[in-house]
Amino acid sequence: MTTQTPPIVHGEPGDAPATPPPPSARRSRRRGRNLAYWLIAPALVFMVLVHLIPTLGGLALSFKNINTFTFSRLFGAPWNGFHNYNAILFDDANPLHSGFVDAARNTLIYTAATVTGTLAGGLGIALLLARSFPGRRLVRTLMLAPYVVPSFVVATLWGFMWQSDSGIINKVLVDYLHLFHDRPTWLLGHNSLFAIIVPSIWRGIPLAMLIFLAGLETMPRELHEAAAIDGAGPWRRFRYITFPLLRPLIAVQLLFGVIYSAYQFTIPYVMLGSNPGSDADLIMTLIVRQSFSNNLIGFGAAASTLLMFVMLIWVAFWFRAFRRDLEMA
Amino acid sequence: MRKSRITALTAVALAMLSFFVAACGSSSDNGGRSDTKTTDAASLKGQTVTLWIMNNGPSPVKDTQSLVKPFEAQTGIRVNVQLVGWDVQQDRIRDAAVSGTGPDVTQAGTTQVPFFAALGGFENVGDKVSQIGGQSAYAPGIWKTSTIQGQDGTFGIPWFTEARTIYYRKDALRAAGVDPKTAFTSEAALEATLEKLKSVTKLGGESIAPFGGPGKKAYDLVHNMMPWVWDAGGAELNDDATKSTINSPQAVQGVKFATDLVGRGLWDKSMLERDGTQVENEFKGGRLAVFVGGPWVLQSAKRPEDDTWSSAARRNVAVAPMPGGTDGSKGSTFIGGSNLMVFKASRHKDAAWALIKYLSQDRVQTDYANLMGMFPARLKPQEELGSSDPDHQAFYAAIKDQGRSYAPIAQWAQVENAYKNAFGQILDQSAGKGGLSDADIQSGLDKAAKEADGLLAQSAG
Repeated sequence: MTTQTPPIVHGEPGDAPATPPPPSARRSRRRGRNLAYWLIAPALVFMVLVHLIPTLGGLALSFKNINTFTFSRLFGAPWNGFHNYNAILFDDANPLHSGFVDAARNTLIYTAATVTGTLAGGLGIALLLARSFPGRRLVRTLMLAPYVVPSFVVATLWGFMWQSDSGIINKVLVDYLHLFHDRPTWLLGHNSLFAIIVPSIWRGIPLAMLIFLAGLETMPRELHEAAAIDGAGPWRRFRYITFPLLRPLIAVQLLFGVIYSAYQFTIPYVMLGSNPGSDADLIMTLIVRQSFSNNLIGFGAAASTLLMFVMLIWVAFWFRAFRRDLEMA
Repeated sequence: MRKSRITALTAVALAMLSFFVAACGSSSDNGGRSDTKTTDAASLKGQTVTLWIMNNGPSPVKDTQSLVKPFEAQTGIRVNVQLVGWDVQQDRIRDAAVSGTGPDVTQAGTTQVPFFAALGGFENVGDKVSQIGGQSAYAPGIWKTSTIQGQDGTFGIPWFTEARTIYYRKDALRAAGVDPKTAFTSEAALEATLEKLKSVTKLGGESIAPFGGPGKKAYDLVHNMMPWVWDAGGAELNDDATKSTINSPQAVQGVKFATDLVGRGLWDKSMLERDGTQVENEFKGGRLAVFVGGPWVLQSAKRPEDDTWSSAARRNVAVAPMPGGTDGSKGSTFIGGSNLMVFKASRHKDAAWALIKYLSQDRVQTDYANLMGMFPARLKPQEELGSSDPDHQAFYAAIKDQGRSYAPIAQWAQVENAYKNAFGQILDQSAGKGGLSDADIQSGLDKAAKEADGLLAQSAG
């Protein structure tokens, strides 16, 4: 991409312009503003090109009837108004509707479980690692391991671990601990949603732990000491000191955690295939399958738009709920 | 102030324009490409034909390159062989056909040809078929895969063929006291054999299960399930391919045969968690006594470098035709394979056709089939290979007498996806519940039929 070279402006930011002195202060202000526009222009152009235009394109496609026969015309495909949205949300006779309802339910459960598990696990481990004990640094480093493993590898590894006949998980549960009589099948039927939630939490915990650990390190000790002198036990100290001070960190992770989980694709796709089945199909696997395997790009675009709106609502809700924490932070 | 804003906006607009101009300018490169209008062999010299192939065998690119070497020497046409994985080929070929930027020739699965052809990005080679011996050089069922139902035109030349059949372990049958001659003659016989195989729990140092097939992760799940449906008198679509019949009582019975195997513990549940290749490797590794597979499995047993085989499995592998239906019918199997299609956007259509002509020679067909562990697509080399040994005979019989394919319609690939989802779901549930009732299967197939009917009703409207 080529952009025109902006006019050369001498001097450092904050300095008085070096040469020549401006005839009036207003013009210098204007020139300063000009420079600012020039500086944000490339980023703005880029945002418009890679973000705004494709988003609008996707929105337009969601109102089109794209199928096997009209696929090659893409934007030239016939318009069909709100038909795609109606099919997804209200048309019980349309098989796409039941698929969407299943996927939405699974995504909700998956997101709630994954985010809760990740934050609770991360906080718990951070509290344990915040104490000093021999070998603490080694343990911390080891705890970070799941975070550096790519999602694809995580899903592949857990896919093998969950296998009912030869997977390590059933070996431990059935052969060593004798907790089950029959070998449970984790990757089929109702258990399959659980089978994608656990690795997602496992992979998410290290980052949450790291952030909480940083928060705990910066926490003023005096508060805890004062509370201890006043007779507060560990639980009350956590409840009234640690937790409130960590709220901003919880807030930020909640925001990103929910968005990241709602858009999860890799783990179910790698572990369970392009169609994880109605028990574990997520919105993203559904969209990809219907758009690209079944050429129903209009349906996929409509479902993506709905998901985007839900995420916008979530962000708005989040802002209302956590504004105070952010200001405090 | 307003002026400065305008200046800035102008800058933005200029920058955007320059970006677009740059983007539009980078359309297809014409470097070294020349449009060939003549079929003069000399004028084809020096051209390069790009051929997309899928992972058909253990080393597909190397094998294909060695196969076309004589063609390159003969004609002076260079063949650029590129591998496109089965997992992404549908998207890649479709996008190439729609955008007009792609290779010259591509391999396509037999069941995909009508869909790709309907996109309008492929050449109709109907007027050239006489140059490769015409339609009569192919079995009707195989030739059908090169057309679109209800339309004129030939869009893909059959390249190679495969059919699935029963693989079994001779030593396992011996240990269970079953005669291989009668073990798989009918579905009832198959069930009885598997029941007896239950007693054989260890063989050649490995734990072994009677039978296994992949579940929802198998891309070819429909090919694995339809034979049971066909045997029960069911079909995937009605005769004129306008409505789904996957929820007919016969189809329900066919699917129930499979779910009963799961419910009775004859079909190892853990295999349903695996994809096709993994189940194949379980058989090769000696952990399954019986499974249904394609001819490439047989071929790989002869390759000592294929270390997925346990020595006991390699020594004892044998094949049998698919079992007949409950009513004494001859049994059925899915007959698949791949065709070759020429892109409309190709700038070397004559060179591309010359390559297809070469690949359609009987000897080349046989050589390639042997390299890949597939069957040739043409009748004569099929017969030759089919009479070479008893195992190949079983495959040839399957192709000739039991082979069935699907209606060549543009929406088939999508209908197949809908069926795949339903079958995957049904097998999933049967693993969880230990078998399924007719009503459970019916409701799963009803959903698939509804989805398929929606797809069949699609139009260019």
